[in-house]
Amino acid sequence: MPVHDNLSAPEVIANPYPYFHQLREEDPVHWNEWWGGWVLTRHDDVQASFQDRRLSADRMSPFLKGLAKEASGDLHPSFRLFAKWMVFTDPPVHTRLRMLVNKAFTPRRVEGLRTRIQAVVDEMLDRLMPAGRMELIHDFAYLLPVTVIAELLGVPATDHENIKNWSDEITLFIFGAIGVPDRRQRAQRAMSELAGYLQAIITERRDAPQDDLISALIAAQEQDDALSDEEIVATCSLVLFGGHETTTNLISSSTHALLRNPAQMEKLRNDPTLIGTAVEEFLRYDGPSKAMVRIGGEDFELRGKPIKKGQRLLLLQSAANHDPERFDNPDDLDVTRAPNPHVAFGYGIHFCLGAPLARIETAVTINTLLRRLPNLRLDVDPGQLEWQPQIVSRALKALPVAF
Amino acid sequence: MRQLRITVDQDKCVGSTTCLHTARATFALDQSGKSSVVNPQGDGEATVIEAAESCPVGAITVEDAETGESVFP
Repeated sequence: MPVHDNLSAPEVIANPYPYFHQLREEDPVHWNEWWGGWVLTRHDDVQASFQDRRLSADRMSPFLKGLAKEASGDLHPSFRLFAKWMVFTDPPVHTRLRMLVNKAFTPRRVEGLRTRIQAVVDEMLDRLMPAGRMELIHDFAYLLPVTVIAELLGVPATDHENIKNWSDEITLFIFGAIGVPDRRQRAQRAMSELAGYLQAIITERRDAPQDDLISALIAAQEQDDALSDEEIVATCSLVLFGGHETTTNLISSSTHALLRNPAQMEKLRNDPTLIGTAVEEFLRYDGPSKAMVRIGGEDFELRGKPIKKGQRLLLLQSAANHDPERFDNPDDLDVTRAPNPHVAFGYGIHFCLGAPLARIETAVTINTLLRRLPNLRLDVDPGQLEWQPQIVSRALKALPVAF
Repeated sequence: MRQLRITVDQDKCVGSTTCLHTARATFALDQSGKSSVVNPQGDGEATVIEAAESCPVGAITVEDAETGESVFP
């Protein structure tokens, strides 16, 4: 049996891959007593589970029911918006929301944003380069995704400080921050403020539609009255949140991966056309989503283990992406790796809606960093780098670099 | 109506099902959980193109079956 079940042990947070290897080898469908659910680590199991109709993505409703009891009915309505996030819904509710929002994020639509993305990255670097050093996440990486998603959704980019603060608070709850006892209250307050902010913009767009996603959702609502106001607010908040937390983390982890693998960094710098396979490899090697949670919808067996209805399953994408049965030398970074069937964006009906946008934002950012900063290097001892103590998300706290 | 050759790249497909929710008569999920073409004449050309465009991984290509000319992307 594995040495321990503590998914938030400091050494697991700092570098989860050795622990995931051990789990996969010893007990690939493992009952984790500490977390209270099954932990899956094999690539084939994780990929199949994303498509398994016996599993539900709705892990929020049972949680909110429990919370309502605990808080004796004192649950702010804004908190229920989380349950309407399409990532937490099953068909047919999921299908309707997904198909509506999907239109704004197709590869062809986001390709049209490439020039704008390049301009935002270049403007930021123009401003940052004279200093010769920066903290890559807060000075740089978070600004691009939040700017792009705000424009796409149709909220003023000048509000990005507020959006980032609300998102950070929501992150504490959604990504299961360890050691933050008031994370639910903080997320609830943030969601309430964000919902009010979005509601005001929705009211404006109803009178004066523009070429943005909020207006498109309102237009869809007018054609199909099954889309409620609450669903529009929930969907907008999900797009804002999903549109930047994870992409910020992908940009920082990609940069970090290259800084720790100088030969790969030089290879990519010398041939920027490798960026397509490189971005897939950054996603596989140290992607921002470590895991997704599913709920058993019925009793069934998986590798001889009895999964019961209502039990939680942790689909460890990061473990699947380092499965030696699927990937040669899984712990090595290879920017030319192809094919690369990673599950960093999930799989099946919940496959990341924003994947095309995340791919293009990361590709433009990394190639621009390499081209404009030939002396890019870590500005801190690698041993001092820290990751957020979260089970489902992989996020550096800070990445000081010099150039 | 011209005949279309519709291809789903099996290495790229992630089973998101956006195509089969758009062009219901053309695409279906196969045993492996990936999309495949069950009837190239199942839906009109505009619907097939909309389905190809909806794919989050760009796995679907459409061409004129007779001339081989690319219709999408």
